[in-house]
Amino acid sequence: MSHLSLVKNLSHLQEEQRFVDEILLETSGLALIRGSVAEIAGEPSSGKTAISLSFLAKLTAAGEICAVVDSCNSFDPRSAVLAGVELENLLWVKCGGDIEKAFLSADYLVQAKGFGAIWLNLNGLPQRNLRMVPKTYWYRYRNRIKETPTLLLVTAEEPVTGSASQQSFLFSREGASWSGSGRFKLLREFQIRMNSRKQFFREPLRTMIEADYSDV
Amino acid sequence: MSKLYACIISTDIKRDKTSLEAVARQFSYLIEMLDDGILFDVSGLERLIGKPDRVAHKILDELEKQNIAGSIAVAETVETAVLLARQGDGLNSIHSPETFQQLLLASLPIEQDTLNIFSELGLRRVEDLLAVPKDDLINRYGRAFSNVVDVIEQKGRQLLTPNVKDGEISWSYHLDSPVEDFEQLIFLLNHGLEKLFSEIARLALSTEQLDISFKLRNKVRKTYEIKTSFPTLERTFWLKLINLRVALDPPESEILAVDVVSHFTKPRPAQKGLYAVSRPEPERLLLTVNKLKKLVGEENVGVPKILNERIAEAFVLDADAMPKGRERIEIKDEKAVIAFSYFHPPVRAEVLVRDGRLVFIKTCYFEGHVSECSGVWKANSKWWDRSWKTEEWDVGIENKGVYRLCKAGNEWFLVGEYD
Repeated sequence: MSHLSLVKNLSHLQEEQRFVDEILLETSGLALIRGSVAEIAGEPSSGKTAISLSFLAKLTAAGEICAVVDSCNSFDPRSAVLAGVELENLLWVKCGGDIEKAFLSADYLVQAKGFGAIWLNLNGLPQRNLRMVPKTYWYRYRNRIKETPTLLLVTAEEPVTGSASQQSFLFSREGASWSGSGRFKLLREFQIRMNSRKQFFREPLRTMIEADYSDV
Repeated sequence: MSKLYACIISTDIKRDKTSLEAVARQFSYLIEMLDDGILFDVSGLERLIGKPDRVAHKILDELEKQNIAGSIAVAETVETAVLLARQGDGLNSIHSPETFQQLLLASLPIEQDTLNIFSELGLRRVEDLLAVPKDDLINRYGRAFSNVVDVIEQKGRQLLTPNVKDGEISWSYHLDSPVEDFEQLIFLLNHGLEKLFSEIARLALSTEQLDISFKLRNKVRKTYEIKTSFPTLERTFWLKLINLRVALDPPESEILAVDVVSHFTKPRPAQKGLYAVSRPEPERLLLTVNKLKKLVGEENVGVPKILNERIAEAFVLDADAMPKGRERIEIKDEKAVIAFSYFHPPVRAEVLVRDGRLVFIKTCYFEGHVSECSGVWKANSKWWDRSWKTEEWDVGIENKGVYRLCKAGNEWFLVGEYD
């Protein structure tokens, strides 16, 4: 029976998070927890970027400093302004498609402690390369971030963080609405479905994201 | 412990200013330059030199060494010291506080009408006014007159306002043998910064700029101007910052000597509250930004900035700016809007057009029928110097996303995705 002493009590395995408050998006009902890794995966045009920008908008409007790790130089500041992001409070790191630089940049930012959110945008990187990232990297982020009030938000086309993320969502586009006809047609909105990959019995959330053609 | 102030009044302040400052610096760091002289704090010197009159004589000796003339007074209040010194004839003379009662009332800050009345009443010196009951004076001339009463009772409350400060302090070191790798000098620089910062801290000041200059073997001086947006005396932070900055642009030749100049500034007021929002410490933020610049390149880290132009990608990354952490005052409605993501480089596409309509798109990543499409729009213009160059469409592709399609010349590209 002595070997049983090696078995740890379950309570030892529980995460000890210092910051447990949530960042809630009222319009979509989506809430992400500070001090954790959260992941949004989804096919193209499934609203990953829009929802990520909404989180950044909420935090930067309150004066928090957030960071975008733009792995493929795809970030559009004009969209960010339309979503309500305060650009003055945003640090933009362009990694030019270099996956290693993107992960190291996120690591430096996590170590800085005190960012409201760090958005690691992996959209556009080949899934083959992302699958080659050692899982230990994600656990490293998880361990480092749990002592901080920072939310590490990861977006990619497929889930990549595994069990290192505390929350993981799979977004899909249920439809897209267009208005007008002929040459006067305009993209109006996406209907988005948000499935939680960590809470299987929870009803999927649904939300709409609208196109905004106003001038910045 | 009582305070003690010394005042030197000069006959030609323009000529003697530097010398007076040099004399004052030998006794104090708290120095106020007056219009006609200099005032400095000599509190505590009693233990080192002796009684106030000994301090005054010591100052006089220094004045004589500098070959300048001035009348000196040492007193427990600023007003007393200044008034006594101003009574002098400008020659090297010492005025002790015991002579204060002999001062003429005209030298005090009293209105001329009041002085005339005092004169008619036979009150000409401080001692005359001291004989009048204080309450009667204040009742007659108002509450403001209590300041004059305080001055004559040598209980003035005026403070010395230091206005003479060094702008910078320096440290330098000549190496015995040339050093190629800057990192080998870190320990030496650490020692230098320790010296500089302890000196700055003693003056209750801080620094937000260090100028580091290397004398190189090829007889060239390499200078780095390192600035932060906040004052700090944290040595490890400065060392890391210097290391990162030098690593970005290392010296071309071996280093023979190091000079460090630290510029003074007021210390940072730090206010931390219960409701403070999450922000990285300024030191950490600056270090992180510099680490990121070293990793991804200086031009790839910064704050996004929107350009007021109607061109494709009308924004820039301002690499010199730092996130400010400013709270937005006005409340905006929370809304999620369809965002755009650029493809860098744009994805080349083959497009099938039938009867003027986009039908099918094929790229190296996917292909599909066009389910919806809007456009065409002319784009990417600086119309005053070049014509409309591109045409754009928003296209929805079956079982795929919604993209922005662009035609430049005869070539088609997907420039980004709506997400």
